[in-house]
Amino acid sequence: MSRSLELTNFMGISRRRFLQTTALAGATLSLPPFIRADEPGRKFRTALIGSGWWGRNILKEAMASGRCKVVALGDVHEMTRETTADQVHDLSGEQPKTYNDFRELLEKEKPEIVIVATPDHWHSLVTIAAVKAGAHVYVEKPTGHTVHESRAMLDASQQSGRVVQVGLHRRIGPHHVSAMKFLRDGKAGKVGMVRAFAYSRGNRELPHPNSEPPEGMDWNFWCGPAPLRPFNTKIHPGGWREFIDYGNGQLGDWGVHWLDQVLWWTEEKYPKRVFSSGGRPVAGPAILNEKEQTTDSPDHQVAVYEFESFTTVWEHRKFAENRAEKHNIGAYFYGTNGTLHIGWRDGWTFYPANSNDKTIHEPSQLEEPDGHNIKLLWADFLDAIDHGRKPVADIEPAHRSSVLPLLGMISLKVGRSLEWDGAKEQIVGDPEASKLLTRPYRAPWSEP
Amino acid sequence: MRAPANDWPNWRGPTHNGISTETGWLDHRAAEGPPILWKAKVGSGFSSFAIANGRLYTAGNQTNTDTVFCLDAVSGKPVWTHSYEAALGDTYFEGGATGTPTVDDNRVYTLSRWGDVFCFEAASGKIVWSKNVHKETNIRIPTWGFGGSALVHGNEIMLNVGEAGLALEKTTGKILWQSANKESGYSTPLPVQIDGKSLAILGSGRAYIGVDPDTGHEVWRARWQTQYGVNASDPIVDAGRIFISTGYGKGASLFKLRLDGREPEAVWTSKVMRNQFNSSVLLNGFLYGIDGDAGEKAALKCVEFATGTMKWEEKGVGSGALMAADGKLIVLTDYGELMIAPASPDGFKPSARTQVLGGKCWTTPILANGKIYCRNAAGNLVCLDVAKSGAN
Repeated sequence: MSRSLELTNFMGISRRRFLQTTALAGATLSLPPFIRADEPGRKFRTALIGSGWWGRNILKEAMASGRCKVVALGDVHEMTRETTADQVHDLSGEQPKTYNDFRELLEKEKPEIVIVATPDHWHSLVTIAAVKAGAHVYVEKPTGHTVHESRAMLDASQQSGRVVQVGLHRRIGPHHVSAMKFLRDGKAGKVGMVRAFAYSRGNRELPHPNSEPPEGMDWNFWCGPAPLRPFNTKIHPGGWREFIDYGNGQLGDWGVHWLDQVLWWTEEKYPKRVFSSGGRPVAGPAILNEKEQTTDSPDHQVAVYEFESFTTVWEHRKFAENRAEKHNIGAYFYGTNGTLHIGWRDGWTFYPANSNDKTIHEPSQLEEPDGHNIKLLWADFLDAIDHGRKPVADIEPAHRSSVLPLLGMISLKVGRSLEWDGAKEQIVGDPEASKLLTRPYRAPWSEP
Repeated sequence: MRAPANDWPNWRGPTHNGISTETGWLDHRAAEGPPILWKAKVGSGFSSFAIANGRLYTAGNQTNTDTVFCLDAVSGKPVWTHSYEAALGDTYFEGGATGTPTVDDNRVYTLSRWGDVFCFEAASGKIVWSKNVHKETNIRIPTWGFGGSALVHGNEIMLNVGEAGLALEKTTGKILWQSANKESGYSTPLPVQIDGKSLAILGSGRAYIGVDPDTGHEVWRARWQTQYGVNASDPIVDAGRIFISTGYGKGASLFKLRLDGREPEAVWTSKVMRNQFNSSVLLNGFLYGIDGDAGEKAALKCVEFATGTMKWEEKGVGSGALMAADGKLIVLTDYGELMIAPASPDGFKPSARTQVLGGKCWTTPILANGKIYCRNAAGNLVCLDVAKSGAN
């Protein structure tokens, strides 16, 4: 590792973060953190925490890179960790150790890379523990479940000097990269508005009976710092995204990807005002009682983000789809030359304002069956570790992108617009809304 | 009226192995494949068909309502329907009804994903009895809902509910026995005879389990863990051996089926056949089945039962389904193409292939009495004519 590289990375830290971290560290006169370059090509002791569907998708790419030895799997469901361990053995011949408690995993296995693919309400505590244990981290989006959690992840990551990549693979997906070049080259003209959206089909939601958690599942640990709901197969596996205790609905799940595209494009760092509205007129009222539950996320939601030089609207609907337009997911960048749609499997398409000009299209290049670009994001993560640089979906911009859906959810809850001081990360003049920048933690867990 | 000889009264057919004894049907009449006799809409889902005494039974869901359909098997005309409130349940798939009705002795038995059980008069649709076994026992519903169909055994119907099944008196619906409140799997109880004893074998959440269907006592168990607990395909028993296969990368094993209380001994274990939810068929020592998960380029394969050796593989089938009759495979691909081919370890050479449906087709096509019935997830049902002329 070269001294000059360390210096480069030290200089790469923003002045604001530098001032903050030095102020915090001032008492011990320690140096500000930096990311160290690693020996290129060596194999990393890798652990996965949260070993379900998406975690396995990431782990497959980690194994396929040839640079990761999977030493441990963490999951609070015995069958999930055992079947995932079988899969690791099938694919690599390695037999990873399995753990119920991620703290024990970190202590005993001392992994150099940790993949955090838990539900959102665990991202922050696990990521912070992992970087403090010295691991580089690949954590799923959005960063935290609350703004304060996300900030705590960012601070801990920067203080540790480890590489923290967030699973915003749309920062590296080929059609996203070329769409962004198209925008930056000015081909769409001056962009004054962005509309990001996700539409699907749906109907009234019937409650589903609660039950005992599956045999071998530590449900109390699964809920962890979040409220302990009765177990319900609507929540696990996978359905937690639509339960506000554990996820943040469509805005937290899909919205963060497309709002991240907006922050990737603009030179502005944050919006100055946020307003959101939505509800469950089609799904019906949220139900939670001893016998049964429904989800409680909005079946439709609009969130408006007012920036200095443009406005962004997020819109999701879990009914009707949208046969009136060509696309059901993505973001429209409205420029003076026309509309650029950045989509998912449908790639990107530019619809010129001038009807005599031809539509321009570029197809997507995704990894199936789930249509992502984790392979590229993983390669970038390893390269960032090797060279001591920031990864493309570094925790710092990913934190700012994650704050957008989280603010949208706060506005939805309080029912009014929020004035956002992005530099201080504070909601201005609204103590009630400000309280929702964090939330109570269930013992023995506490706010990071 | 004389009952037609080639009825298919329940999931996997009269001999519970996916094979029909029907002979003499035509696998094609023209290059464009068998002609379509009629079409119907039966709601969202993956319920296959029971065909008995000239009537067809299936189920589907629309706007959070399940409907059990009885249609005239020849004309497709509605005979009766019964509807009841039931969630679509579309987490990670299209949702809708997944179990297939079971016809026995002028009665039809159905189990919904959420525990509703009905006994109907087969001809009229009049409800003989009904109940919700989940509500009555509080036995948990597995992640995708109860998936198996009812097995009729003596005076009871047995359901894949609870860790190792549940039995109801078939005339009254009274619970005769039940198993532990642990996750069930999604297969249909398979009746087998071994050492002169009756056994029903089903996929549970973490194992395949054999019980005495008269008492519910567990007599056999093979530990079998599949991701999400999806032990969904039906086992195949032949010559004292049992073939078990599941998806999500798990694979298959052939075990010796002995009731000696010991952990079953595997003859072979392999990734060669991973039946995610549709089961294979066994013909003349060779298994034919769909290997691989939905969305992951699943293929049709032929595998030697005794050894697990792959004989051939037909790609591009996706997460389809199949049955067999008269030495031929009747395959409906994930994408709605119907293929008929001789079942041979030498290769897959379809004599007929025709696009009969669009959308997603995961449901087993059924041949009965000179007709093939196919459906897709959206509930479009087509009936194709494969009868020898004059047979109907």
